[in-house]
Amino acid sequence: MTDQLVVPEAAEVSLAGSKPTMAVKVYAPFQVYFEGEAYSVSAQNAVGPFDILPKHRNFLCMLVPCELTVQPVKGNKRTIKINRALMHVKADSVVVFMDV
Amino acid sequence: MRRPLEIKADEVAIRSVVSLTSALESLSSMQIAKTKNRVLISNQFFDEVWNIYKQIRVDVLFNFGRSEGEKPIDKELLILITAKAGLSGDIDQRLIRRFQEHYDESKHDVLVIGRHGAVKLKQVYVNYDYYFDLPEGDYINVDPLMDITRRYARSRIFYQNYISLGQQTIEDVDLSEVVSSKGRVADINTVGDDVVSEKTYIFEPSSYAVAAYLENSILRLTISQFIYNSRLAQVASRFRAMSAAKERSLETAGELRVELNRARRNQVDTRLKESLAGLKKVRAGGAA
Repeated sequence: MTDQLVVPEAAEVSLAGSKPTMAVKVYAPFQVYFEGEAYSVSAQNAVGPFDILPKHRNFLCMLVPCELTVQPVKGNKRTIKINRALMHVKADSVVVFMDV
Repeated sequence: MRRPLEIKADEVAIRSVVSLTSALESLSSMQIAKTKNRVLISNQFFDEVWNIYKQIRVDVLFNFGRSEGEKPIDKELLILITAKAGLSGDIDQRLIRRFQEHYDESKHDVLVIGRHGAVKLKQVYVNYDYYFDLPEGDYINVDPLMDITRRYARSRIFYQNYISLGQQTIEDVDLSEVVSSKGRVADINTVGDDVVSEKTYIFEPSSYAVAAYLENSILRLTISQFIYNSRLAQVASRFRAMSAAKERSLETAGELRVELNRARRNQVDTRLKESLAGLKKVRAGGAA
């Protein structure tokens, strides 16, 4: 009898889905550009380019004109052109208020 | 009594007015649905930004985004948001009346948004200092207006508020008061963990820069929100005005129809009388 690690089926599913995600919403007063779960958000502020990942600390910043990139859980990478925006990060929730 | 042909011509004209007001009423109804939906969507966005502002600026006086060294003009700027054209009922007239109760040439400068308001001001001999067209699209660039607002010590907005389809009110508010009162929290202890401070947040580039930016954003959003509300109130007022005009023109058309029938009947009666009188004369002549 060989020692073999047996991973139950349920545990396999759990491990596969364990990559942490965060809720992301990018919107303007009349248009939602992106809303859903994502692995990361990349943008640029006055300090320079930065990435937001799950478990990020609470964060508030103004974005400078740049291309904001969202890596969603479902689908391809999304790129949104930003002119003026405010980013608010709190408790794995990222909200980008555009045109404010 | 007027001749039937004249009455008929009037009736045709009134029927055209009925068709026109019906079309404008339908158009206004569609515009209300569209504008109301837009206002509701934008309010959700505004509320979320307000909420952040409330948490970050609980103890700071609103400064219109001015730097400390800037000295403002010691006058109050009166901002009037009016319709771009007529056919909006009496809503602009009511706004001008409210404005006149407050206006003192030596103490106030005037900024008017919307062509109709500018015309109405001219009619009451008030010269405005600044003018902007009423924005029509979804995205409103209020930066030029903010540049002017910033130069003044105080600003007051006169706007039209949508209560319901049948009720639109005229409001006037001090801009700094409305911004600071919304940003103020009655009891700071109730804010709890929601306070956005350097202890609980990372700010980039700095807390002061973010706060100043947010202050400008709030002013921008507040003005935009007043413009959206005014646009909704204007289309609702236009709908009411068109409904009333349609009702009145239908009544007039009905009255003209009755008058036409009477005139026709009268004409027939007169001809009948003339024929009978002629017949009598002919008979009387024959008998002689």
